[in-house]
Amino acid sequence: MKLASIVATSALLIGTALLVNTLRAEDAADTRLRMIDLGKQHKTAESLYAALKEQAHGGRRLTPSTAPDWSGVYTRARGGITFDPDQPQGGPPTAKLTPEFQTRLTKRIEDADKGIEWDPISTCSPPGHPRWLTEPFLRDFVVTPDQTYLINEMMNDIRRIYTDGRDHVNKEDRYPLYNGDSVGFWDGDKLVIHTNQLHSGIYQRRNPDYTDQVETVEIWHKTSPKLIEVDVWVYDPPALVEPWYTKQSYAKLDDQGKSLRIRYWHCGENQNNAVVETEGGGTQFKDFTFDGPGSGSQGPGTGGKQ
Amino acid sequence: MSAVMTRILRDRRSLRGFRAVTATALLLLAAGSASAHHSATMFEQTKQITVEGVVKEFQYTNPHSWLLVDVKDKNGKVTTWGFEAEGPSTLQRAGIRPSVFPAGTKVTMTGRPMKDGTPAAIWVLAVRDDGKKFDPRAGFAVK
Repeated sequence: MKLASIVATSALLIGTALLVNTLRAEDAADTRLRMIDLGKQHKTAESLYAALKEQAHGGRRLTPSTAPDWSGVYTRARGGITFDPDQPQGGPPTAKLTPEFQTRLTKRIEDADKGIEWDPISTCSPPGHPRWLTEPFLRDFVVTPDQTYLINEMMNDIRRIYTDGRDHVNKEDRYPLYNGDSVGFWDGDKLVIHTNQLHSGIYQRRNPDYTDQVETVEIWHKTSPKLIEVDVWVYDPPALVEPWYTKQSYAKLDDQGKSLRIRYWHCGENQNNAVVETEGGGTQFKDFTFDGPGSGSQGPGTGGKQ
Repeated sequence: MSAVMTRILRDRRSLRGFRAVTATALLLLAAGSASAHHSATMFEQTKQITVEGVVKEFQYTNPHSWLLVDVKDKNGKVTTWGFEAEGPSTLQRAGIRPSVFPAGTKVTMTGRPMKDGTPAAIWVLAVRDDGKKFDPRAGFAVK
């Protein structure tokens, strides 16, 4: 009798948990569809940003005492190095691409399947935004009243988001930047960002290209003590037939021993990492120097004697 | 002959291709500047090898670290193998610090080797002679 009671209680608990998970999944799917639809209601990132700003009555200015606490060390919570964390396992990227960019993507994936792949950041350039959102290393975020600094350790890559009320640079004075020009406002505890003036690039390996017309709108929100979630809409008319909505997330890491540190990242520290692009568009090491102590390191204090 | 030695000899045979690397390099585009954070398509995607040896050097560097391991064949000839892993912050989160692999540490390395026979591999697992295991990818876990 006692056993039957335990079994029944366990079944009830498991059933409840499954139901809760199902409802959460349905909520997430509904939210995603709403966000996709919101993006499609606006022809440009500028228009979406303006609408969000109007909805927030222009946003609020932070003071040191009202700035949200985003301290800590974070890393990407979902998605590996795929731009859309909700991309089905083994499936193609979820972007709706123009025919030209779809053809490019198809070839990129086919080539990668054959072992032919070249990543443009192999030449030590920074990933650039929006790819910046996907890199799997350590991050920290610093909120101040007039600027928010979004920092990725990879290549010491910092995005500066101006929230002091300034606007973008005049159109005629814009030129491509790896992380673009970002302005934002605070809607309650959500940071809304518009970024333009970007370089062309790729969203990630086995992911599509974007052009230098790409612009993004992001809503950053710390949704729990250990999670920051970001709604991202990418607009890029030459490459995308509609805005590409994705939900990014960054998890705060346990650092009980206070051992996590973000340090200077120089991507040319070790010549054993040097690669070249082959004629066929693949990647090959340039050379190895496994002979002699400190053989691969190129800077003081690096190498194996630490 | 032990299974490990069999693997080492098989891999030594594949090292004949090592000398061909110089020639192959001539076929590569001269991309110029040193580059680093690269695709891993030059490594086997699924095939793995295991070798035993002693640590020669731990190059603890961004964006990728290299654990160099001297592997001796049955004739006493030593080949230095390189095992590539992520950079310091990811390794630290996996419990892999420079002091974990001082020169001379006996280690059994499992990795995905280079397709062209070069004695280098993606570091999959290192097992020290005290039995402790080190998986660099564990450094990506969200804890």
